[in-house]
Amino acid sequence: MSMAQATETASRQSSQENLLLDYVYRLEKHKDGRKAVLVHLSRLKPFNRREHHVRVAANSFEALVKALQGQLFMLKNCDLIFIYKSDAAPDVETAVQRVRFLFSDDPLLAEEAHADDRFSTWLDAESQFDQILNLAQSLVDNELKRESEVRAKMDTRAALKARQELGEPLTPEILTRVEAALTRADLSNLVRRQFACLLGPKGAPEPAFSELFISIKDMRETMLPGVNLTSNRWLFQHLTYSLDRRMLAMLAKTDHITISGDISFNLNVSTLLSQEFLAFDDAVPASRRGHMVVELEKVDIFSDLEAYTFAREFVQERGYRICIDGLTHQTLSMIDRERLGADLIKLVWHPDMVDGGGDIQSDLRALVRHAGENRVVLCRCDDREAVDFGRAIGVGLFQGRHVEHLIAEENRKRELRRLKARIQNN
Amino acid sequence: MANIGNVSTLPDNEAQSEESLLLGQANRIGEAPKGYFAIHVHLSELRPQYRQPHYIRIAARSFDNLTGAHEATLYILRNADMVLICRDVPVGDLDPPILKLRSLFSEDPLTFGAEGSLDDRFTTWYDLAQASDFAGFLAAVEDLVATAEERVRKAREVGDSPQGAMRGEDLTPGNLTEVNERLQGVRIEDLIRRQSAIEVHPGGKGDVVFQEHYVSMFDLRQRIAPEINLFSDAWLFQYLTETVDRRILSVLAQSDFATMRDDISVNLNIATVLSPGFQSFHEKVRDHAARVVIEIQIIDIFADFPAYASARDWLRDHGYRVLIDGLNPLALQFFDPGTLAADFVKVAWNPEFLAGIPDERVSDMRQAVESVGGDGMILARVDSEDAVKWALGLGIQRFQGHFIDRVVDAMITKGII
Repeated sequence: MSMAQATETASRQSSQENLLLDYVYRLEKHKDGRKAVLVHLSRLKPFNRREHHVRVAANSFEALVKALQGQLFMLKNCDLIFIYKSDAAPDVETAVQRVRFLFSDDPLLAEEAHADDRFSTWLDAESQFDQILNLAQSLVDNELKRESEVRAKMDTRAALKARQELGEPLTPEILTRVEAALTRADLSNLVRRQFACLLGPKGAPEPAFSELFISIKDMRETMLPGVNLTSNRWLFQHLTYSLDRRMLAMLAKTDHITISGDISFNLNVSTLLSQEFLAFDDAVPASRRGHMVVELEKVDIFSDLEAYTFAREFVQERGYRICIDGLTHQTLSMIDRERLGADLIKLVWHPDMVDGGGDIQSDLRALVRHAGENRVVLCRCDDREAVDFGRAIGVGLFQGRHVEHLIAEENRKRELRRLKARIQNN
Repeated sequence: MANIGNVSTLPDNEAQSEESLLLGQANRIGEAPKGYFAIHVHLSELRPQYRQPHYIRIAARSFDNLTGAHEATLYILRNADMVLICRDVPVGDLDPPILKLRSLFSEDPLTFGAEGSLDDRFTTWYDLAQASDFAGFLAAVEDLVATAEERVRKAREVGDSPQGAMRGEDLTPGNLTEVNERLQGVRIEDLIRRQSAIEVHPGGKGDVVFQEHYVSMFDLRQRIAPEINLFSDAWLFQYLTETVDRRILSVLAQSDFATMRDDISVNLNIATVLSPGFQSFHEKVRDHAARVVIEIQIIDIFADFPAYASARDWLRDHGYRVLIDGLNPLALQFFDPGTLAADFVKVAWNPEFLAGIPDERVSDMRQAVESVGGDGMILARVDSEDAVKWALGLGIQRFQGHFIDRVVDAMITKGII
């Protein structure tokens, strides 16, 4: 073990999270007459939880610590946990009030009607010991998980493993070859279609539109086995220009019966400003444009906002709708659909939305409401859990393998009913 | 995109330019002007980006319905201006296409003045049946003809000169490998430039917050690929920056972090921060991480937020500070940089702030300052004292840019820094 690794391991072992967990284990035998308070500094605005703020907040408990009334833990996420003897309760309340006062200008405390509940959580070690233990345990687990994630990203072994599983990384030479091949290849057999549906309370899916996309996985298998097309973000982004053009050519050719109903497809902002798109737009009957949704990636939008605002005005005026693709539970809060002038947004389902703990669900519900329930599509719903969660946060539209499954199910039921009716009539 | 061109590449009539056709019609109208009027749309005053041919081409489509249904002719001129000549067209029919045109450019200061108001710089109307209006219009058209001729002459000169060659061929996946290989082998130490960000205190004193270290891309291009325009494609350029990162990190790793006078900052891709190369850099920095600020581009964050979160947390856990770069005032209208939980946010100054921009844009900036915190916000590309005064009024105290470089020089001379 190198020097560096040794110090890192040491610092991990003695992290506040680990110390807290050890302390809670020992607390089990002495939990009578003990209490705990969790001060949620992590919910303050970032500029209110810099290091010096946390230190000042922690100082409020110093006298109590010195008087051996309790033990303070300062967590990575800036939260404070103070575990204390019940006798000291009034002093602890005063200390928490003092901290609260320090941040009284923060929106958390200034605006919230129930700011007290959001700022601090009070627990009784005797009756709520399990809750305290779970909390301490999950803090340590999260810390380990986070570290291992970062480590995995930095790890040569992991990179090697990815290469074996996903293929050789995309290089400029390969990109040149793919782009040349793309101008000739017939991609129509690689086009996939997936429905975005309203799901009524009984679960019967009602299609709102269907997304047409070129399957990157299948394209890779037919054109470039052994190459990981998405390994370099920037080269892949460049490749999407070529894909855009192929998609437009196919959409212009496809006769309109086979792509019935409203459809959506992914394009780059710069493609919307290209000759190819203008030619496509000329070829599409005016009445069809209102049934088409153009999906744009957020990174593309933010790489050139001037181009985006121009392109958005242009295509919306022509009748198309705009959908912002690829939002996650981490980025949803950063983006205001209305301000960006988009008609729809797509939120990518991830199990972390359920496992990520406390506030995520209520935060997401508020964000979905703000964006407009029927303007949010929860996509990549591969299982029932995703749909259930989406319903719980108020999402109106769903897309993904599970939704496809529901559609197939619904079609099968309908077919059965039809057969039954026919048999009865006979 | 960085490829700023002009409209001279629009396909136009080989034999006769739009300008001379326009002048011809104007002269003919002079003989019987009844019922004619003209609208001059000043698109040449848009920001350079919006004057590129693909924008103008789409903008021109706004008049398609009008010219199809009425006796109206649209001229698209070399400088990106448009002139529409109408005969007996109900004036009300002009409102929809002009409104459409204005909304396309709603982010450009050219459209900030309300239509028909004194501040409206977007269009000029001429009632050609009025002698004075007609004379004014003819003079304007003659100006446009002269401007176009001048542009053609210049374009020819530039085309033959070294500056013309400077634009060079586009960066493509085909030439990217070679450029990248040259970049890996080239001497780079002497291309690293420094620029200070300073904090302004009441009474005119200042402190250096950090010195940004960056590679001068202009000089780098001269050295590795003068024949190629490295900035013609945003994504391929971004790919090259991953190599630039490795090169600059290996140079910075030689620094004596214990004794250096000022804290430093360096712009890196998130992929670089998460790479083994950064670990070698970290081996050198170790206990002095608090003296290093890592700048991360906003589009990199939007491309992969979880990667950003990992990189940010790792950096901050190990003592580095994190700065978000690549924001402009327009971006602040669309998202709140405070949610990124970085130590600093850098916003590029835009002189348009001093030229009467709408109030809500100023309030967006004010909100961003509040969300990030005054001591986290850095105003970059500051080019004037007025910019500093304006920003101090919003609670911004940290600055960077050419004007600041001059201030720093003066402070050093006076010994107050």
